[in-house]
Order: sequence, then structure tokens, then C-alpha cells
Amino acid sequence: MANREVNELVDHARALYEDIDFGAVKRWKAEAPGRKAIGHMPIYVPRELIHAAGMLPVGVVGGGDRLEIIRGDAFFQSYICRIPRSTIELALSGRLDCLDGMLFPSICDVIRNLSGMWQMLFPDRYVRYVDVPQNYDAKVGGRFWRLEIERMLGDFARLAGREITVDALRASIVVYNENRAALRELYAERSRRPWVYPLSEVFLVLRAGNILPPEEHTALVREYLGAAAADTSRKEMDQSRVVLAGMFCEQPPHGLILTLERAGCSVVDDDLMLGLRWLTRDVSTDGDPIEALVDVYLTASVMTASRYSPEGNRAQWLVDSVERNRAEGVIFCAASFCDPALLEQPILVAALDRAGIPHTEFKYSEDTGQFAVIREQAGTFSDSIRLWSEA
Amino acid sequence: MTVAEFASTGTLVTSGIDVGSSAVKVAVMASEDDGSAKILSLHAERIRRRDLRKVIEECYAVALGEAGADTGDVAYAATTGEGELVEFRRGHFYGMTTHARGAIFLMPEVRSVLDIGGLHARAMKIDEKSRVLNYRMTSQCASGSGQFLENVARYLGIALEDVGSLSLEGKTPEVVSSICAVLAETDVINMVSRGIKPADILKGIHLSMAGRYVKLLRAAGALDDVAITGGLAADVGLAEAVREKIAEDGAPIRVHTHPQSHQAGAIGAALWGAFRHRVLAKRSAEQ
Repeated sequence: MANREVNELVDHARALYEDIDFGAVKRWKAEAPGRKAIGHMPIYVPRELIHAAGMLPVGVVGGGDRLEIIRGDAFFQSYICRIPRSTIELALSGRLDCLDGMLFPSICDVIRNLSGMWQMLFPDRYVRYVDVPQNYDAKVGGRFWRLEIERMLGDFARLAGREITVDALRASIVVYNENRAALRELYAERSRRPWVYPLSEVFLVLRAGNILPPEEHTALVREYLGAAAADTSRKEMDQSRVVLAGMFCEQPPHGLILTLERAGCSVVDDDLMLGLRWLTRDVSTDGDPIEALVDVYLTASVMTASRYSPEGNRAQWLVDSVERNRAEGVIFCAASFCDPALLEQPILVAALDRAGIPHTEFKYSEDTGQFAVIREQAGTFSDSIRLWSEA
Repeated sequence: MTVAEFASTGTLVTSGIDVGSSAVKVAVMASEDDGSAKILSLHAERIRRRDLRKVIEECYAVALGEAGADTGDVAYAATTGEGELVEFRRGHFYGMTTHARGAIFLMPEVRSVLDIGGLHARAMKIDEKSRVLNYRMTSQCASGSGQFLENVARYLGIALEDVGSLSLEGKTPEVVSSICAVLAETDVINMVSRGIKPADILKGIHLSMAGRYVKLLRAAGALDDVAITGGLAADVGLAEAVREKIAEDGAPIRVHTHPQSHQAGAIGAALWGAFRHRVLAKRSAEQ
């Protein structure tokens, strides 16, 4: 019974993952007249602002491996990653017509340009480039971020046709605090017992957070946590414990994650769907909610290539993750042509070498369909950790 | 000594399950603390379009039965090849790793391995700890693989088991394309219609395949003492053809074979399983 329950939950999440027509968003909008949905690219946007306006934040992370690109390639050179071209393809094929606006957080120059293309292609739709601060001084970056948040609140209030009250914003913060707490628990449990919470399932449960209202997603995560733990058929395997790094924007195909697990790797930490887990602590629900959102961004954001961090901090973050999660190695798994991930990789590699942590590297794109080489590389990496580090 | 008696002496009983594209091979091994080990049983089943999970289950049951063991006696069930399908496994090891370990167990003097399987062949340079130092694989083309040889045997109406001995009788081998399995198979059909003797056809095929393997070995730096493993290791005609091609090439390679070479993957998996069991038990005791 327990087994069927967890399978049902994972199947539900898989159906959402595979639906590149955003059927769940359309159904949510159809449930009540006047509902609106705002899309956003990966990496951080303060979804609380959209939620407080009564709208649905929708994570748009490209077309994955189920979308053939026909028009999107005309917009980008061949040396650009796949997510912007598949996102354009989603839009030009009408799949994103259910979105009433689109946010482009500052990930890299390519996504910045994509926001400009959006403004030209869809002049009648709301488009905003969300320029998060790269200066973490409250008087500088904090002031800037507060102005950005206030502008977005004004925009969302106009789009939703209603005022966003302080109480509504605070209530949305509570909703997202609960969501982040559930995800933190999922990651902690997965690190403790990766055979109970394999990444091939956790990834699908995470991805559902792009589409579902946060309250529903939190319930799904909590239900999955319980159902997987109750499934007594899950037994501990002799796998290598690894951390994945470099997947914070363009997401890998599900088959790649399955390949890593089948090749003998248990993933105990990763940077997949990082925007959902950007804040490492709860947002304060006391006082001014805008100030609370500003403060948490400045003081409790994750370390990743898309944000500025003083030299060495990001590398130490990765080394700390390895130690905290008792990982035995790191797999750098970055999207092809992902400048942020690939430019920081040598710095991280050097830090791992200094710390004596084994690592391997390969690239993917969201539509990678042949995994033989990755399987071979991950398999030999896992074997080298398990067999020759102690032989 | 029975498996139960082994267990009472601290001997570890482990199993290795090598799921290949053509056959499933299972080894049940007894390993000692000092690293020595002995084979308790070896069993192989050809898949022949049967349900793979069922073939694995049957093959495993027979191997355990021959070893006088049951599943509870096995401290670590290890898989290799396509063994991710085996749900009762405790760990999975990559094919190169297990073939290297199996080769060293069967032929301790070797430092290179030529693993010829159903779908591809690979040459590996290894060290005395079975660590893979370098390797080269055939590309996706099937002309260097067991599947290709199986197809040829079918065209000639010859049982796969008889291919090796028949090839040894070939005195005037026919030249066969070594580039493409499709072209080579067309060559074979032409030869049959021209009345070429099956022994000469097979010898030509073996020499064609052997030519590719020598190139692989050279590319991988896998010289000196080379063990042939994998499903085609049992093909005496192929081993002889490899020796002939090496002599022709002048490569400094000595070819080694062993009656159980075709089970090297399963043997290696079982041995690595014993190693990992001890590592994990030690870690557990330390915690």
C-alpha cells in the first residue's frame, strides 16, 4: 500500500514535469474567473510578491527533452545554451499564452537578452528583468533591492487589479516559509538516507514546485517525505555519495539523473531548482515584510555562480556541502555553454583538489538523450571512489 | 566445505552477476580476509529473447544451488554490465572495473585486458590492483563484437560453440571487411554462394576482428601480457587469430586465456563485492 502511495505521488509529479503545455496552470486559472499567472525563469525571484497579489508564480525552465526547437534556433547562436531557445520556442508555439507576465531574473547575459527579445516579441505582455543586487551592503544593495521590490509590487497590483496589503504579503511569506522548510527537510532526509529519497524522485517533486500553488507543493513534499519513508522495499545500496554542482539554471533531463543513480552514485546534495531553495532560512514575519525580504536576500542567499560572492566563498560553500553531507566526491554537471557554471568550475576544482575531494566533470543540455558516455564516466568515478580510494 | 561452514570460519560468500547483451553470467565466490578467494560456482545462461529478469533469476538460482548456498548466505550481491535491472543487488560496478579484477584473479601476471562482449570490445591497461589506467573501446559499429560473430554463425548454420574449433581448421582464410558489420555480413553471404568453406570464412572473420583488437590494444597502450575476457574469450579460434595478428603486427604482446575468462566480469564483481563488504563492515564497526 505504502509503495503504491509513493508511486502515485511520483507519477503525479512526473505528469506535471512532462506537461510542456502547462495544463495545470490553465486548470488553475480556469477554476476562478480573472485568475492570472506570472512566469519566471530559474534562479531567484521573490514569489511572495506574486502570490500576495493572488496570482500564480510559474517557473519556466525551458522545454526539456520533449520539445523540438523549430523557431527558437533563429534567435540564438549555436554557442548559446539551450534553455533560452527552448523558452522562446515554448512562447512562439503558444504554450506560454497562459502566462500574463514573465520575469527574467539576472542569471547571465543570455537571459538578460532574452528579456529584451520578450519585450519585442510580446509588446502587449508584462515583462520585467529582475535585477537582483550584487552588492550585499544593506545601504547600497539593500536600498536598491527594496526599490525593485516596491516597483514589482506596484506592477503586480496593477496586473491583479487589487491592492497588495502588508498582511497579504506577510501571509504569502508564511506560505513560502513553509514551502522552504519542507524542502529543507526533504534535502536533509535525502542526505541522511539517499536510498529512501533518490534524486530521480526528488527532482520530480521539486519540479512540481514550478507549477503548483505553493500550498499544494508543500503538501506534496510533506506527503512524499512520509510515503517514501513508509515504503519498506527501499533498501540501502552500496553507492558513492556525491554532490552535483552546476545545474542551477538549465535543468538536466530526468534520464540523466537516473543514469547517475544507476551508475552507482547517490546524490546527497545538488543545486537543482535552486530558485525554490535560494533562501537558507525563514523570512521574518515580524515588522515590515519588504524589509524582511530585503534582509533575507542580503544575508541568507545561497552561494552560486549567478550571484556575486567574495573570492573563495563559493568554493568554501561547496567544500562545506561535501563535508556536511558526508559526500565522497563532486560531479560537475553543467549545461553546455553555461557561462556562469563553466567559468566558476576551475575555481571550484582547485578548491576541491586542495581539500583532497575527488571530482569529475561533464556537460549536458536539457535535451541530451544519449547517456552512454555519462554512464561510463559516472560509473568509473563511483568505482574509483569506492574501490581505489581505500584499496 | 559447505557454505555454512565457510560462514563459520569468517569466509565471505559473495556473488557477481554480469548481465551482458547476449548472456547472463553468475559467479559465487568465497573470499578470505587476506584477499585470497576461490570460485564456488559459475553459471551462464544465454538470453535468447527471453524475459531478462527471468533469465537473471534462473541463472542466479542455479549458481547458488551449485554452490550449495541460498540467498541468505550471500554477504554481498554485486552486479556489473546491465545489472542495474537486478533489484536485489547491494552494489553495482562498472564493466571495466570488474573485468580488470576478474582478469587479475584468473591470470595474476596480466597487466592488460581485452574484453570482447556481445556489443563491443575494449582494451584496458591495468595495474596489479586492477585499477584501470587507460582504455579504448570499439565505436558503435558492431563489426568487432560477439553479436556480429553470432550473426555470421547463423548465416553459416553453425552452433556458436563450434565456431572457434572450426576456425582453427581454416587454412586459406577469406578477407572480410573490418570496417562495417553490414558490409562484412554481405561479404559472408557472397562467400557462401561462392562455395567457400565455412572454416575459411570463419578464419577470415576472426582475423578481421583480431585486426581491430590489435589496434585497440596499441591505442590503449595495453601491451605486454594481455588477458582476453568477455563472452568471446571462450572462442579458441578468435584467440588464435589475435595471436596471429599480433605476430603479424610485431606488437610486444603475449596473449593469455583461461577456461573461465568468459566469466571474468562476474568473478570480478563478486570479488569487489567482498572488498566493499569488508570496507562497509569496518566503517560500521568504527561508528
